Amino acid sequence: MTNGPPADKNGNETGKKARFPSLAPVHSLLAGWTGLALWLLLLLLLALYPYTGVSSLALLVGSQIFVLVTLASNWNLIGGMTGYVDFGHAVFFGVGAYIMAILVTGAPLLISPQWGFWQALPASGAAAALFALLIGLPTLRLKGPYFSIAMLGTLVAMREIVRVSRPITGGGIGLNLPPVLNRIGDYYLMLAIMGLVVSLIWWIQRSEFGQSLIAIREDEVGAEMRGINTTLHKIAAFMIAAFFTGVVGGFWAWQNTFIDPDGVFVETRTVEMVMMSMLGGLGTVWGPPLGAVAIYLLQNLLWSNLFEWHLLALGLLLVLIVLFMPEGILGTLGDRSSTSLGRLLARFGRNR
Amino acid sequence: MAIGNADRVPQSTSMASDQQPLLEGRTVSKYFGGLAAVNNVDFAVYPGEIVGLIGPNGSGKTTLFDCLSRLQKIDGGKITFKGQDVTRARPYQVARMGLSRTFQSVRVYRKMTVLRNMLISHQWRDTSFLHMLRPSPASTASRAHQLLDFLQIEHLAHEDAGHLSGGQRRLLEIGLALMPDPEILLLDEATSGVNPTLIETIKDRIRTLNQQGKTFLLIEHNINFIADLCSRVYVLNYGEKLAEGTPQEILRNEAVIDAYFGA
Repeated sequence: MTNGPPADKNGNETGKKARFPSLAPVHSLLAGWTGLALWLLLLLLLALYPYTGVSSLALLVGSQIFVLVTLASNWNLIGGMTGYVDFGHAVFFGVGAYIMAILVTGAPLLISPQWGFWQALPASGAAAALFALLIGLPTLRLKGPYFSIAMLGTLVAMREIVRVSRPITGGGIGLNLPPVLNRIGDYYLMLAIMGLVVSLIWWIQRSEFGQSLIAIREDEVGAEMRGINTTLHKIAAFMIAAFFTGVVGGFWAWQNTFIDPDGVFVETRTVEMVMMSMLGGLGTVWGPPLGAVAIYLLQNLLWSNLFEWHLLALGLLLVLIVLFMPEGILGTLGDRSSTSLGRLLARFGRNR
Repeated sequence: MAIGNADRVPQSTSMASDQQPLLEGRTVSKYFGGLAAVNNVDFAVYPGEIVGLIGPNGSGKTTLFDCLSRLQKIDGGKITFKGQDVTRARPYQVARMGLSRTFQSVRVYRKMTVLRNMLISHQWRDTSFLHMLRPSPASTASRAHQLLDFLQIEHLAHEDAGHLSGGQRRLLEIGLALMPDPEILLLDEATSGVNPTLIETIKDRIRTLNQQGKTFLLIEHNINFIADLCSRVYVLNYGEKLAEGTPQEILRNEAVIDAYFGA
C-alpha cells in the first residue's frame, strides 16, 4: 500500500508559505541556544548600565521594569504555556510580600530574632509555592473559566483574610518594613532574579517538562492518556510560577517599605501580567518580557499624556490586542497567517 | 520494518481457554444519571487478537472505551489489564503499563508540530525527573521519524498538527498511540472521515503491527473493515452486550441485523 499524500496538498502548502513569509526560522533560533546567548548578552549590558553614571531614579525604573518582566514570565508559565489562565496570580505576590514583612519586622507575630532580608527572601518564595500547592490541588482540577474565577476568588479572599488577621498581618493598617535605601543593590538583585527566571523559562520550554505543559494546554485528556501525569506537571508548573512571584512580592515589600492588603493583593497586578504576556506572545519565552517592557513604556506615555484617561486607554489596548493580535507580538511575527494584524502586515508587505 | 519488539511472536488469535486475557472487563457498568451507558458488560481481549466492537450510535462503545482506558470512573464491575486490577488506576498509569488509545474526535496537540506531538508521546514509564528537564533524546526522535514514515506522514513532520487534514490527524493520532510501544491499542473509529485509500493504508498498518505482536481493539462503523481484520467481534446495544463471535457469525445473527442494520 503506497499512498502518498495528494500532490496538490503540497502545492497549496508552499503557496501559503509564499503568501505569508514566516519568521519561524528566527523563532526556532531564538528558542535555541542563540536566544539564550543573546539574553545573557543583554543581561551583561544591563549589568554594566549603572556604571554609565545614571541617576538613582533610572535605577529605580530599571528594577521596576525587571519586576514586571519577572512577573509576566512567571504568569506565562502557568497561563501561557500550561494554558491555565490564572486571574488571581497576584495572590502569590501578596503572600510573598506579607511573609517578607512579617519575618523582617518580627512583630506582630513576635518572631525573635527577626529574620534578615536574605533569609526572608527565599522564605517568601517558599511560602508562595506552598500556598500554590494547597490552592492548586483543588483549583487545578477546574478547567477554563472555572479555574480563572476560582483563582480570582482566592485573591479576593486572601485580601480579606489578611485584613481581618490583624494580630499577624497588621490588618488594614498594613506593615512598615525597615527603611533601607539601596537603589544599586535593588537594581542588581532584581536583574539577577529576572535573569534567572527568564533563563529558567527558556530552559523549561526546551525540556520535555515544558513540552508536556504545552501538550496539557493543547489537549489535557490526550496528554493524560498518553502517559503524562498531568496533575503532577500542572502542580509543578504552578509552584514554580508561584515561587518566583512570591520572591518578587518579597522584594517589592522590601523596596516599598510599606505594605497593606489593598496594595499587594490587587487585581490590577494580575491584569498587568495577563496583558504583558498577551501583548508579547502567550506561551513564548521572549514574548512576555517584550510585552512587559512595551506595556511599561506605554503606561508611562499614557500616564504623562492623558492622565485621567490612561486606565481607559490601557483597557482599550487590551481589547485591541485580543481582537487583532491574539497571538501577541512574537506570535504575529511568527505566523502572520494566524492573526488579522499579521494578514494586514503581510498584505502591505506584498503591495510594497 | 519493526515498529514494536521484533522478538514478540504473534500469538494464536483463537480464544484459548488457558490463556490469560490481556485486557478484561467483568460486569462493567457505567451510568449517566438514570441512563445505563454501559450495563453489566463482560469483555475480554487476548494477546495478539484484533477484536472489533460494533453497535448503533449511542450503544455505549465509546463509554466502554473510556471505562477501559480509565478516563471514566466505573459504577460497577472490575477491569484488569495484564492480570492487574486497574479499576481505580488513572489513565496515565494504564498508559504506562502499555495501553494506548485514540479518540473518536481526534485529540492531537494542534499548536505543536507533528514531530513535537510525537516526541512528547514517548513511553513515560521509565522517565526520570532528570530526563524531564532535558530536551527529548535522539533515540525518541529517531523512533518518531520511523513511525511517521511508517504512517506516511513524515513529510508533514514540521507542520503544526492543527494544519493537518482530518485523515492526516487520524494517522498522527495513531502515531501518538504507537510511540510508547504499547501492548494493546484501542482505536475509536480510526476510519471515520478518512478517504478510502487511506483506510486501506490504516488497515495494512494494523495488520503489520498485529503480526509484530500488537493487540487491537477497534470501534468501527465500517463493517468491511471489521470483517477484514477482526477475529472476534462484540456487539453492543443499549449499553448491553448483544452478541459476540466471529465476524461471519455476527453478520448472520438475527438480533444484530435487527438492531444494527435495521433490516
